[in-house]
Amino acid sequence: MVTRFPSRSFRPPGRRLRILLASGAAALALAAGSVVLGSPFGPSPQEAQAADGKSTLTVAVAQSVDSLSPFLAQRLVSTSIHRLMYDYLTNYDAKDSRTIPGLATEWETSADKLTWTYTIRSDSKWSDGEKATAEDAAWTFNKMMTDEGAATSNGSFVGNFKKVTATGPDKLVIELKQPQATMTALDVPIVPRHVWEKVGDFSKFNNDTKFPVVGNGPFILTDYKVDSYVKLKANKDFWRGAPKFDELVFRYYKDQDAAVAALRKGEVSFVAGSPSLTPAQAESLKTTDNIKVNDAPGRRFYALATNPGARTKDGQKFGDGHPALLDQKVRRALFMAVDRTAIIDKVFQGYAMEGEGYIPPRYGSYFWKPTAGQKLAYDPAKAAALLDEAGYRKNSAGKRTGKDGKALDFRILCHATDPNDKAIGKYLQEWWGDLGIGLKVDCLDNVSDPWYAGEYDLAFDGWSVNPDPDFVMSIHTCAALPAKAKESAATDNFICDKQYDELYAKQLAEYDPAKRADLVKQMESRLYDTGYMNVMAYPNAVEAYRTDQIESITTMPSDAGNIYGQDGYWSWWSAVPADGASGGSSGDGGSSTGVLIGVGVAVAVLAGGGLLFAMRRRSTAEDRE
Amino acid sequence: MSTESTPALLKGVAGVDAVRTGGPAPAGPPARSPRARSTTAYLRYAAGKLAGAAVSLFAVLVTSFFLFRLIPGDPVKQMTGGRQVSTEQIAAMRREFGLDLPLWQQFTEYCGKALTGDFGTSYQFRAPVMDKITEALPATLLLTGTAFVIYTAIGIWLGARSAWRNGSAGDRFHTAFALTLYSVPSFWLGLLLIVTLSVGIGPVPGMFPTGGMESGGGSGLAHVLDVAHHMVLPVVTLVAVEYARTLLVMRSSLLDEMGSDYLTTARAKGLRDDLVRRRHAVPNAMLPTVTLLFVNLGNTVAGAILVETVFSWPGLGGLFYQALSVPDLPLVQALFFVFAAAVILMNTLADVIYPLLDPRVGR
Amino acid sequence: MTTTTDAAPAPGPRALTWARRRQAAGRFWQQYRGHRAGLVGLAVLAVIALTALAAPLLVGEGSRSVTAAPGGPLESPSAGFPLGTDQFGRSLLALLVWGTRVSLTVGLLAAFLSVAIGTLVGITAGHFKGWYGNIVMRITDWFLVMPTLVLAIALATVLSRSVWTTILAIGVTTWPTTARLVRAQTLSVESRPYIERSKALGGGHGHIMSRHVLPNVMPLVLAQTTLVISTAILTEATLAFLGLGDPTIVSWGGLLQDAREAGAVSSGNWWYLAPPGLAIAVVALAFTLCGRTVESVLNPKLGVSR
Repeated sequence: MVTRFPSRSFRPPGRRLRILLASGAAALALAAGSVVLGSPFGPSPQEAQAADGKSTLTVAVAQSVDSLSPFLAQRLVSTSIHRLMYDYLTNYDAKDSRTIPGLATEWETSADKLTWTYTIRSDSKWSDGEKATAEDAAWTFNKMMTDEGAATSNGSFVGNFKKVTATGPDKLVIELKQPQATMTALDVPIVPRHVWEKVGDFSKFNNDTKFPVVGNGPFILTDYKVDSYVKLKANKDFWRGAPKFDELVFRYYKDQDAAVAALRKGEVSFVAGSPSLTPAQAESLKTTDNIKVNDAPGRRFYALATNPGARTKDGQKFGDGHPALLDQKVRRALFMAVDRTAIIDKVFQGYAMEGEGYIPPRYGSYFWKPTAGQKLAYDPAKAAALLDEAGYRKNSAGKRTGKDGKALDFRILCHATDPNDKAIGKYLQEWWGDLGIGLKVDCLDNVSDPWYAGEYDLAFDGWSVNPDPDFVMSIHTCAALPAKAKESAATDNFICDKQYDELYAKQLAEYDPAKRADLVKQMESRLYDTGYMNVMAYPNAVEAYRTDQIESITTMPSDAGNIYGQDGYWSWWSAVPADGASGGSSGDGGSSTGVLIGVGVAVAVLAGGGLLFAMRRRSTAEDRE
Repeated sequence: MSTESTPALLKGVAGVDAVRTGGPAPAGPPARSPRARSTTAYLRYAAGKLAGAAVSLFAVLVTSFFLFRLIPGDPVKQMTGGRQVSTEQIAAMRREFGLDLPLWQQFTEYCGKALTGDFGTSYQFRAPVMDKITEALPATLLLTGTAFVIYTAIGIWLGARSAWRNGSAGDRFHTAFALTLYSVPSFWLGLLLIVTLSVGIGPVPGMFPTGGMESGGGSGLAHVLDVAHHMVLPVVTLVAVEYARTLLVMRSSLLDEMGSDYLTTARAKGLRDDLVRRRHAVPNAMLPTVTLLFVNLGNTVAGAILVETVFSWPGLGGLFYQALSVPDLPLVQALFFVFAAAVILMNTLADVIYPLLDPRVGR
Repeated sequence: MTTTTDAAPAPGPRALTWARRRQAAGRFWQQYRGHRAGLVGLAVLAVIALTALAAPLLVGEGSRSVTAAPGGPLESPSAGFPLGTDQFGRSLLALLVWGTRVSLTVGLLAAFLSVAIGTLVGITAGHFKGWYGNIVMRITDWFLVMPTLVLAIALATVLSRSVWTTILAIGVTTWPTTARLVRAQTLSVESRPYIERSKALGGGHGHIMSRHVLPNVMPLVLAQTTLVISTAILTEATLAFLGLGDPTIVSWGGLLQDAREAGAVSSGNWWYLAPPGLAIAVVALAFTLCGRTVESVLNPKLGVSR
């Protein structure tokens, strides 16, 4: 039985057609009149731009801004924007990353290296007309030293400060408790005292209430919409010279593919990638007209870390790292079964360099390579032999077992958001599987918890290295170990090695650059031999921009360097608009006729639907009377 | 009984079921709810529903607090990231966010503050959670609201036609088409739309923005048009995967109505087919559909998470996903509460106004 | 509910009961056969189930290996790789076939879990009316209003990433609908006179629930299961797509996630993107069609078109 009413009999002629038409209309509505909407969008964004005369550089970013307050911001996108809004005491040369003047023109240190005196430039002005002085700098540092809320993002810089004073409008004096190597690398935005004095709670103030935001950097922040965009305009009075683009927009794309698509269409001028474009994206963009892919040596290393047995400063052990990994032979065998060329070729598809020492080759003076005899080259046969030697032999099922007869199974911590971790995890499973070792890939959004707790065997590890290697070296010293079990600490991987620590102390006290570099290299060599940090690759920074919008842009280092996330503001400050072009930002906002037509269609569809219902209603009502 | 199995068809329709079987609200033919006829009885009924909603909201509040405590991860560690922080700093942060208190005290404080609309401070944004939510809410409401209006219109219209022409080619086509789109993962459809209509493929040029809600700049009409332009693809995606529900429920409730005796009588009176439909069947069949609409609206808000993610829409869904990965507990809790509250409020609203809408009751 | 399965009228010989049930099943199948959509759905499912079972024979165990991948990264479709390759150079067709297993397994297990919870809760709540039934139904109502996807995402985040997490997340978020339906059906079954008779003859709670109520709600449960499977498969894909699945396992949702991570969308690699989504849609649709047909056979008033 189907229904009680064989509806066929009720259907007047011509009905069927109407139903089909109706369904057709529905299908069309679903396609949202896209066809109608489409064609008028043909004109390229540049043309749309020319009319408004302002040149705009739009940057697609994959991070949303966490805070616009320089005291709170921690994400790369936010700190990059602060670089543009506020001048720092010093800057890094675009060519070779050496320290050059910023807000401070020169600096000197006392004989005991505990007092630093900076001379503040006289030609830097806040965008509200006030002069930027040593007072502002002193106030900024003092605020960070006295207000817990203001120390959130850069507190570590001032931890060792004893006293900061402005002895004149152009003299800033910083007294230290102990000598500090990073005094010419104080990456702290200096804010205008007269504006920030009025802020009440620094831990809650996000600097996004009043626009434009008063600053003295190459750009002035003019507008911000959460999770949408940050807009800046060129600071025409910037002491180093005005930027070439009139406007700079950072637009947030949750999805990297969407950002790349936006670049293809000219909606944005530049895509940074998070952290870099995928090989597939780079390959396809390379063949696209008017787009240049910037493939530069990166500043990151990508390593395989092994848990050396987590412990506190006092030597209290915690965590559950696999005991087999305490054997250097096992660590070496594992790494020798990792085919690094395959990782470069297959996972990074050439957009990375093979890993050697701890510091990427980009920092030439600190780059170190293992000697031929030292190198743990890819050699599965030798790896197998090493494991045999260490007492882990294959059983009848092809699994390696320890002396206790238990199979050798490891876990590896992987970042769920990093495709490379997941990809290499698959390779490791197979390579180590051939050796007879099991591997469980634990992918988590939040790896830091098991990490701090020492509850891992192996982990994918990586750091972005600064021009000064102090930080990335310091995280492997015994001093960085946690005070209490499972507490967060500076340590990266619970490494504590006497030999390494001695070298670290030596380099810290060494002020001769060449000698210091040599010590750093010795530390790298020692780190390599321990087998706790096995660098697999140095991923490239792969980014792309539109050549019809950006004529030229400075990379850092200037030959073969990256554009986004530089240590200075060089890229955006130096970018030159292409002829008659500018970023697409206001392109589609320019409301070409297409939008009008599209909206018209949508309105018509809606109105039609509404009308239909209204009529139906009314006729029903009439019928009732 | 038939009304029981209809909603089971689609998971989102679940709420209808609750509404329709939960209380004295009329599920089938009108005469079943004599109590709703008198005003006092209605008020008592409505008050009961509201009280039930309040209990549910409280239960959700409790869940939101405890469920997310299970997420592994110390929020303070998350907040400090890889930076060096002193033990004092950590202690200060714990104090600031009230994490040093015992759990039950945190809970009572959370509940107390939530009643005043204060959900605490977001860990990652260092801003009041309510501010973040009110910032993102308009975007979500705009997207889901627009999609809701369109899919409801299409769903009801096509559903009514399908039912009346049950078994015809048109009915078969509509049902099949709707079911097919309903089976499609929304995020996949969104991605395909981006590939074809946004990036452009072959001869098709990229016509729509790839994501976001606005290009920034422009004001007045230009701004409105800009937003409308950005909205097309996400709205199309939502409508495509959602309209099937409305269509199917409208269709089956109209089929139910068509089996009723009063329609036979109407026909027997010699009324025109069209008239019978407009005057009797459709208005009555609209009732369960109206209930469904409310439930849909509540669910769509949460269901937009995927579409918002794919299209970088700056709404609640995207915020939720972002907050989960930190985990930004205060924000996650509050958003979870908001999503559930939307469904509860819509359900209650449907419950409360259902008797008022029923033309056969108290008109 | 106009069920087709006749209930055993009295505690008669077991054989007789079975004969009746067989008869009922036969009648059910005869009516089911009349629905073209249902048949199409069933045929599609049969093909897909076969594919899943025969996957090792069809494409070989080694096709999931990344180290032994035969092709280059992201090759477009060719004779060797009908659907192209993924970023590791593995054949996408082979992965799609392998993915069938995970998606079906997760879909089936999650639906089974969901329906099992729902049936248990529904029958007991319908049988033990009093305070137990009240409380249980309150909880059910409350689960019902929880946004399913949000809750599933939350659960998948809370627990570690594995197939079981996905199954659990889907299972515990989708059961309330089934519970409500089963409870209603239980109430109607228990109001029938033969239950009174059975009680009078000394049938305990367990006996009544398992011998009388359960067989009578089974058809409903069957219909519900088919419908929940399609939801479960979609949810599995969604969770995998959001990166909440086990990344080392090949599933359709995971393939889509991989495609997105590889940048297939902006590179225009539609051949990577389209097939997994289509597969999900086809399976989900097939289950929906079967479920609707079962429903309409049980309740002809709904009038699914022939």
